[in-house]
Amino acid sequence: MKMNEDLKKAQAQMKAGVITVEGFLGFDDRDIATIIQHDEEEMARLKLNWDEVAAKMHELLKKGSDGLGEPTTVDKLWLIRVDETRGTLPSPWVGEGIFHKVNCEVRRLNKEGKPEGKILLYNELSLHMFEKHHFLQGRGSHFRLEPADIKTVLGMWD
Amino acid sequence: MTIETLILQTLMVGGVSVLMAVMISIIDGIVNNYGEVVVDVNGKKQMTVKGGTKLLGTLADQGIFLPSACGGRGSCGACKCQVDSDVGPHLPTETPYMTDKELKDNVRLACQVKVKADIKVHIPEELFNIRKMECVVEKITELTYDIKEVLVRMPAGTELNYTSGQYGQFEVPKYGDIKEPTARAYSFSSNPQMKEHMEFLIRLVPGGAVTTYVHKHLKEGQKINVIAPVGDFNVKDTDAAMICVAGGSGMAPFKSIFNDFIAKGTMGQRDIWYFFGARTTKDMYYLDWLWGLDKKYEKFHFVPALSEPGPGEKWDGPVGLITNVLDDYLQNKIPNEQTKEGYLCGSPGMLDACMVVMKKNKMAEDKIFFDKFA
Amino acid sequence: MSYVDPITLLFASIFTSNILLANFLGTCSFIAISKDIGSANGLGIAVIVVLVLSSAISWPILHYVLIPFNMIYLDLFVYIIIVAAVVQALEMIIERVSPALYMSLGIYLPLIVANCAILGVVLFMEIRNYDFGQAIVFGAGSGIGWWLAIVAAAAMRKKIDKNPVPAGLQGPGITLITMGFMAMAFVGFSGILRVQ
Repeated sequence: MKMNEDLKKAQAQMKAGVITVEGFLGFDDRDIATIIQHDEEEMARLKLNWDEVAAKMHELLKKGSDGLGEPTTVDKLWLIRVDETRGTLPSPWVGEGIFHKVNCEVRRLNKEGKPEGKILLYNELSLHMFEKHHFLQGRGSHFRLEPADIKTVLGMWD
Repeated sequence: MTIETLILQTLMVGGVSVLMAVMISIIDGIVNNYGEVVVDVNGKKQMTVKGGTKLLGTLADQGIFLPSACGGRGSCGACKCQVDSDVGPHLPTETPYMTDKELKDNVRLACQVKVKADIKVHIPEELFNIRKMECVVEKITELTYDIKEVLVRMPAGTELNYTSGQYGQFEVPKYGDIKEPTARAYSFSSNPQMKEHMEFLIRLVPGGAVTTYVHKHLKEGQKINVIAPVGDFNVKDTDAAMICVAGGSGMAPFKSIFNDFIAKGTMGQRDIWYFFGARTTKDMYYLDWLWGLDKKYEKFHFVPALSEPGPGEKWDGPVGLITNVLDDYLQNKIPNEQTKEGYLCGSPGMLDACMVVMKKNKMAEDKIFFDKFA
Repeated sequence: MSYVDPITLLFASIFTSNILLANFLGTCSFIAISKDIGSANGLGIAVIVVLVLSSAISWPILHYVLIPFNMIYLDLFVYIIIVAAVVQALEMIIERVSPALYMSLGIYLPLIVANCAILGVVLFMEIRNYDFGQAIVFGAGSGIGWWLAIVAAAAMRKKIDKNPVPAGLQGPGITLITMGFMAMAFVGFSGILRVQ
C-alpha cells in the first residue's frame, strides 16, 4: 500500500535495533499501512470498538498499578501485573513524545479464580499506538495485540 | 565485437571507476580527517584521541564508561554529559530527552555528539571508577518462577571497589533477532567483601531483551561483560532506624547491604525494619535467611506481606499491599519519636506509593532514599 | 545548430529550457523536498554543484576517452559512475560542513544520483556537442534553473498548505498541478530564445 511520509518514517523507526532491540514489526513483511488496514477490518469483524477497548486497557493499567509491581486481582475478573523498567521509549511517529516502559500483563480469571488462557501484554507505548494510530504491531512482535485475544481476555462482547 | 574492443571497453570503464574511487578517497581523507583532538574530562583527565567518532565511543575506548541502555542508538537518554565546547546545536535525536534546563546547560547525549575538535566535557565523578570486565557465569539459581540469581566470577586480580546499593550494567551478546550486544542495569546482590564474585537478581520482563536471554539462554561457564559500578543508592552512616521496602527483585541491594553489615560486624547496631511485599508464597524467596536474621539480631525486623495469598496457602503473616502494611507498622509498631531513614527499591509506582505513606507518617522527605530509574 | 554564446546559453538553460519546467526532468525529488524552503534551498544548491562537477568531469572523459576509442555506446554507463561518485563526495563534504543540512536532506541527498535531471544534462551536453566552456555553463545554468524552480515551489506550497486542499490532492497531487502551472508560465519564455 502507498504510504505517506509520516507512515514511512514511522515504519523505519519500527525496525529492529532502532527504538527497541526487537523492533515493532516481528517477522511481518507487510508495510504498516497494510497491517493497520487488515487489523481495522478484523476489529470491525469482531465488533470491537477501538475507543472502548482503549479505554478499558487504560482502566486495567491503572487498576493493575495498585499491585505495585506484583500481580493483583482486578474486579474479580482479571489478574494483572503492572511493572516498570528503567528507560523511556520514543514513539516511532516522530514528535509524539516519549513513553515510560510501563508493562501491563492481563490474564482472565476463570470461575475458580485461577488465571487461564492467553496473556494480553501491552505497555504505554503500544497502547498509545493502538489508540492513536490503530496500530497493533507486526505479527511476531512480542507486544502484538491480536484482536481475537483482546476479545477473549477483555471479554468485550457486542 | 573483437577481443580487443572487449578488453579496451573493460579497461576504460574500469579506468573511469578507479579514477572516481581515487577522487572519493582523497575527499574522504580530507573531509573525514579530524586529526588528533584533545578530550578534557572534568578538567582532570586529558586524552589525545583520533577525532571523528561519537563521544560515547571515544570515552569508552579510553576506559570511561557513560551509562547506556541502548548501546548508543539515541533511544534511552542515559548517556547525558555536559559539553563545555561548541559542538553545534542539539540534534533532533537529543531534544526529546532534555529538560529546558539541560538544554540551556549544554547537556548532550554522548552517543549523538561527534568529536571533531578539542572538546571539554563534564561527567559525574563516580563514572571515573567504572570499569568493563569480562566475567564468567559461575552459577544460575532459580529463586522463583520469574527471578533468577546469577553469580559471576570477575577476572583474576580485579579489585573492584563498590558500595552496597550500587548496580552494574550486565551485557548479553547478540542472539536470535537481536543483532547487537545489549546491556541493562541490575543492582548488586553481592556485597563488596566478596572479592572474586558479583551477583545479580534478574527478574523476567515481558519482551525484555536481556532478561529473556538470561532466563532462556544464559549458561554457566559462559563469558559475560559487566560494566560497573554505577549508581548512588547507598546506606547513610547514621544511627537512624532504617525502614527498608522492596518487592520482587528489589531485594538485591538489601541483600548486599545486610551482608555488608554482617561482614563489617555492624549488623545489630541500628534498628532495621525490612518490608518485603509479594503476591503469594510462590513469589517469595530467601525467607529462611531473612527469618534467620530476624531471630539472631534483636534490632532486625523482617516483615513480609502477601497481597493475595491463595486459599490453600499457609500464611499467618500480614496480608495486604505492602504500602498498607508499612502504614500500619509506622503508625502502630514503630516508635514515633525515633529518627527514621527510608530506603526504597522497586518500580516507580511502588516508590511513589511508599513515599506517600512515609511522608504521611512524618518521615522527612530528605531522609528517604531510593534507587532512581534513569 | 549555430554556436550559442555562454551568456545566452546560461539564460536559456535557466529560463527558456528550464530542465525541470520545460523538460520535466528531476521531478521526483522536486516533489518530495519542496515542502520546506530551507531544505529545498539546500538541495537546489547541491544539485547545482553536482551538475557543474558532473559536466566538468564527463566532458573530458567523453571527448578524450570515449570518442577516440569509439566507445560512445558506453556513455550512459560511464556517466552514471561519474554522477554516483560526485554525489558520494558531496555527501561526505556536506556531512562534515553542515550536519544539520545533512540530516534534513536525509535520503534525498544520495537520491540525487537517480535524479534524471543530472543524467539528462550530461546527455544533452553530448547530443548538442557542446565544448567544455558551454558544458560548464549549461550545467551551472540548468542547476540554477532547477534550484529556482524548487525554491519557488517551496514558497508556493507554503501558501497553498494554508488553504483547504481536497484530501486526495494533498501533497504530491497539488504539487504536480502547481508544477504544471509554473511550466505553463515558463512556456511564455520559450519564444525569446531557442537552444533546443
